Amino acid sequence: MKSAKNVKKDFNFWQVDNRIERINEDKGLIILPSPLAWEKFAWLREWFKEKPKEGYFIWVKKQLDFPLSACVTIASAKVKQSLTNILVIEKNIKAKANVMCHAAKNDLAGTHVAIGKLVLKEGSFLEYNHVHKWGEKDLVNPDYQFVLEKDSRLIYNYQNLFPAKKLNLVNSVIAKKNSSAQISFVVNGDNSEISLNEEIVLKEENAQAVLKLRLVGRKNSQITAKSRVVAKAPVKGHLDCQGLLVDEKSTISLTPELVCENRMAQITHEASIGRISEEELNYLRMRGLTESEAIDLIVSGFLKA
Amino acid sequence: MVSHSLLKIENLFVKANDKEILKGVNLEMRPGEIQALLGPNASGKTALCQVISGNPKYLVTKGKILFKGKDITRFSPEKRADLGIAMTWQWPPAVKGVKLSLLLDKIARKKVELKEADSLLEREVNLNFSGGEKKISELIQILSLNPKLIILDELDSGLDLKRLERVVKIIKEELLKDKKVSILLITHSGVILNYFKPDLTNVMVNGRIICQKKDYKKLLALIKKQGYEKCKKCKKGF
Repeated sequence: MKSAKNVKKDFNFWQVDNRIERINEDKGLIILPSPLAWEKFAWLREWFKEKPKEGYFIWVKKQLDFPLSACVTIASAKVKQSLTNILVIEKNIKAKANVMCHAAKNDLAGTHVAIGKLVLKEGSFLEYNHVHKWGEKDLVNPDYQFVLEKDSRLIYNYQNLFPAKKLNLVNSVIAKKNSSAQISFVVNGDNSEISLNEEIVLKEENAQAVLKLRLVGRKNSQITAKSRVVAKAPVKGHLDCQGLLVDEKSTISLTPELVCENRMAQITHEASIGRISEEELNYLRMRGLTESEAIDLIVSGFLKA
Repeated sequence: MVSHSLLKIENLFVKANDKEILKGVNLEMRPGEIQALLGPNASGKTALCQVISGNPKYLVTKGKILFKGKDITRFSPEKRADLGIAMTWQWPPAVKGVKLSLLLDKIARKKVELKEADSLLEREVNLNFSGGEKKISELIQILSLNPKLIILDELDSGLDLKRLERVVKIIKEELLKDKKVSILLITHSGVILNYFKPDLTNVMVNGRIICQKKDYKKLLALIKKQGYEKCKKCKKGF
């Protein structure tokens, strides 16, 4: 068995372009290419009717003492990836996953399409840190579904500070009894066309979710974000959507939507879009930062706040 | 002719939001000198500080600002900070998501340790800071800039007596020990003058400096007795 130290050093799963570069399994950890997993496990065929073309299947069956790590790289020009990624956390297991999808160079003009399903079984916990880093000509379209079984807990942090030319991000969460989700999307638009669509369905009693969006529009970026929380039982949910416009040509459109189907549910939202405060900018410049350094600092603060 | 001034302001006219707020200001400071600028609210004191520091919100329409003999009237705020001009704000804005320690890492010309600031370093700059905490935050920032001219805008506002004494002690220990730093004190109440004993005290009313006196105690006593309204009519200003 590999020591935890070695596994930490390497990715548990690493795909470059359309080939799998590395798979590191461990005791209680099953990792397979998703087409192979689809053939092997009948229950996956209920989730996905068509056989996946590529991508990872990660099944955490026992408690791990290290964070999982997966990486999908575009390394060659004009590569088209069409991934199906599956992550299953078994009952009462606590796991952390660090996942990176990126382009190795700025001008590869690749296409990254990903369908994902992440299932947290009863009583489990997953901290899923998802980092995207793309080149200025890439097209990226991930569509992920999270299923939170009873008493499970999800922390999902999506960060994209180097966006693709076009990013179309779709996420849906189904939260069952007593489950909770804390979701954060941090996207820095930089001459990009970005579309985010999130839907959280709080399906059963005491399910809770907080969705936080922090979007920055720079250098002629066009960003639209539609975020929806549906309360079907006595649940609690909150949307916190904030946009920051850095230049005159960028636009941000935020559409928070609350759908309440139960009179005991509490769902709320807050949304705002602002510009960089002249006062903050001048304050930092009077401390010796150039205008561009001051803007970068304000933006980095906004994305962390 | 070689200039011995650190700061020289010549016939300065300034507009903000299309309104003229400084109307021919003249001021000269030597290296190591402490001067005070007294005046009622809305007389233009803070505007003058901001203009000296280069805040682009203020538009100089006439006149000059010279620093170490160099015309800095059109210099950016960051260039002025590089030259050694630093100002504490009376109401500094919060910078959300940016820890004070990170800001200090970015701006510091020299490392400054201030135990009063320790509890603030991991907090977001000026966010939910009390009046006293804001002054400490401002102070550690300007100390780390290693300035030649410090402008203290209403240093005593928001500070209780004990904290004010501590802040004054820090400034004296860190900045005034070698007599290399000049200080321009901005105040409307004058309380702070007793701590710094300025070499020269200026009175600003309605966008102009109308009086300069060496004896700040006498000047304060007169203003206390007669108010700033009398200053406008007084012919013995300079």
